[in-house]
Amino acid sequence: MPWQYSEKTKQLFMDAVQGRPGTHLGEIQNPDGLGEHGSIACGDALRFTFRVNKHPEDPTKDVITEAKYLTFGCTSAIAASEALCEIIEKGAYTPIQALKVQNKDIVAFLEGLPDQKIHCSVMGAEALEAAVFDWAKKRGVDTRLLGIDHSQEEKEEGRLVCECFSLTEPYIRRKIKELGLRTIPEITNAIKAGGACMSCHHVPGGLQDLLDEAWGASSGRASAEAKKTAEEQGAAALSPYQFNKKVDKTIEQYIRPMLQQDGGDMEIVDIKDKLVYCRLNGACSSCQGAAQTLKMMVERVLKDNVDEGIRVIQV
Amino acid sequence: MSVSTIYTDNNATTPVAPEVYRAMIPYLTEDYFNPSSMYESAQHAAQTISRSRRLVADYFGGVDPSQIIFTSCATESNNAAIYGVAKARPDRRHIITTTVEHPAVLEVCKDLQRGGYQVDFIKVDKHGKLDIPEFVRALRPDTLLVTVMHANNETGVIFPVEQLARITKETDPTIVFHSDATQTVSKLPIDLKGDFKDVDLLSFSGHKLHAPKGIGVLYLKKGTPCRAFMIGGHQEGGRRAGTENVAFIAGLAKALELASENHDQIESRIAKLRDRLESGILENIPEVRVNGAGAPRLSNTTNISCHYVEGEGILYQLSAEGICASSGSACTSGSLEPSHVLKAMEVPFTAAHGSIRFSLSRYSTESEIDRILEVFPRIIANLRKLSPYWDTQTNRPRSGASAGIM
Repeated sequence: MPWQYSEKTKQLFMDAVQGRPGTHLGEIQNPDGLGEHGSIACGDALRFTFRVNKHPEDPTKDVITEAKYLTFGCTSAIAASEALCEIIEKGAYTPIQALKVQNKDIVAFLEGLPDQKIHCSVMGAEALEAAVFDWAKKRGVDTRLLGIDHSQEEKEEGRLVCECFSLTEPYIRRKIKELGLRTIPEITNAIKAGGACMSCHHVPGGLQDLLDEAWGASSGRASAEAKKTAEEQGAAALSPYQFNKKVDKTIEQYIRPMLQQDGGDMEIVDIKDKLVYCRLNGACSSCQGAAQTLKMMVERVLKDNVDEGIRVIQV
Repeated sequence: MSVSTIYTDNNATTPVAPEVYRAMIPYLTEDYFNPSSMYESAQHAAQTISRSRRLVADYFGGVDPSQIIFTSCATESNNAAIYGVAKARPDRRHIITTTVEHPAVLEVCKDLQRGGYQVDFIKVDKHGKLDIPEFVRALRPDTLLVTVMHANNETGVIFPVEQLARITKETDPTIVFHSDATQTVSKLPIDLKGDFKDVDLLSFSGHKLHAPKGIGVLYLKKGTPCRAFMIGGHQEGGRRAGTENVAFIAGLAKALELASENHDQIESRIAKLRDRLESGILENIPEVRVNGAGAPRLSNTTNISCHYVEGEGILYQLSAEGICASSGSACTSGSLEPSHVLKAMEVPFTAAHGSIRFSLSRYSTESEIDRILEVFPRIIANLRKLSPYWDTQTNRPRSGASAGIM
């Protein structure tokens, strides 16, 4: 594994899968709030439900007494769901107070999450938000009080920026600000945007443009470009031996861990000039669309790290 | 001999379908005209050719009919493709093919090799699967042509031609890709605008799909460098001279039409019969193996090796029972060498000589399979009684037999 989970994360996960008392796996029947986030196509999904102790007069004083989840996802997705429920129940929050629980609280509860897994904590926060929204509608609470009236329409109506994970411009823009995301890898780690085919990274209206818009055309980008030019010049000077070594190293360092995360792997069959022939085996490699995405991902990473002229041919 | 014939050698040739025969008759009788002539009756023959050409083009996913060239057989198509490409691009002199091609490709490649071309013959593994990494490594900047069969005539093993063509074109779009699809047309879907779009040249013949012997096709994608093989006439757009075989062309088009009707149903019925035959033999005869069983195979073919007996002896006895089958490739018979395909698959020599190919068709029946299953174990047992490597007492090979010790 290219990362380590904290003891807390591992323990929450084990407790949950073994169904120990005090864990929150499951679904509340006729819940007072229900929220979902993610989809099976995106690799993880969470269905979050809670029950409140209803205040006889003022629904905004309802208190959450029980929270449960059903999660499709990795170790950290399950642990993050568990964390979310514990935080909410222990806090005895009203739903509106619960909204203050953010992904970083979940990360803190888990005693840290690897960068690549931050999106698991975001998923928890998103599902919570959706559930509170659902509660507000059911209880006739003015949703403006929640400050989250953007929820639905921004997801459904905005321009799609990341097609792989169906993420829209208003959503990504909001998340950049909310979570203080400053680079494309940070965006990907937090909300997955740009994490599959990567074609939305540097296109007009793509992730870099949204970052520039949020934070101003950063010096980070200029230096990244300078670095790229330097690398291109470097690539021209590489001997075939050095070139092949660099391809190998990039695969070991960046690509293989990503593929192994999905139970996949890859093998270089041959390298001819800048043509890299690969065998890719991913959890989804039998699906043609996924195979294509995988190929583009490998090609993108090799282009960025070794040479812009590289083409990957799938064998 | 009074026994009726059981024909299970359809990879060698097939009976002409009655519908095909009927479609041909008019052009052998009243419509005998030369389609190049000016008078109206001759124009009818010309129209028949263009209609047939369109039917063939439609069969392959609706390609442009002008890319379909009628030839006399698949061997001609293969020769025309390989020599034609070599002639058109004299600057490139490297060819990639496989060790298990039909001689109509293998011998042409070897002929070019004698003329100074470099040829890589890609190996197969023991299941008959192509070594794809070896194929990738063989691609070179001066590669002229890749020629890989779609399915093997002896074992029925299918090669991933669409994938190989894609890899070839992604490497260098000017490399020409040819495939001998003689055993697969009518059996496997071939969409030359879809999965097979990277294939430039494709050969096949009519007599493997219930059209008569003497008609073949070469698909030649527009823009492919390929000089005419037969010259001396304007026919087929100048790419294959010689007066068109109108009746056979009409017959071939009819045969492809028939192949499309109820295709999946017929194929699955054939597959069931083949599986029954195969499992029946495996259950009732010790020391047999199915060659190519570990690879994707055509559903009509089974190639079975019976250890410690000789194929010819099997064929002879089968023939006495009215059963037609092959041992190795019919095209290599006359040679004393066991089949080059089985050798390439490293089938042990104790088994290669005892290989029998049964290949079925839409006309094969359940009772025919029953009959084969009834006589085949006895035939093998008879031969093994005679074999110095077999111990009839235990019905097992003698010790040391696998090393060739009697």
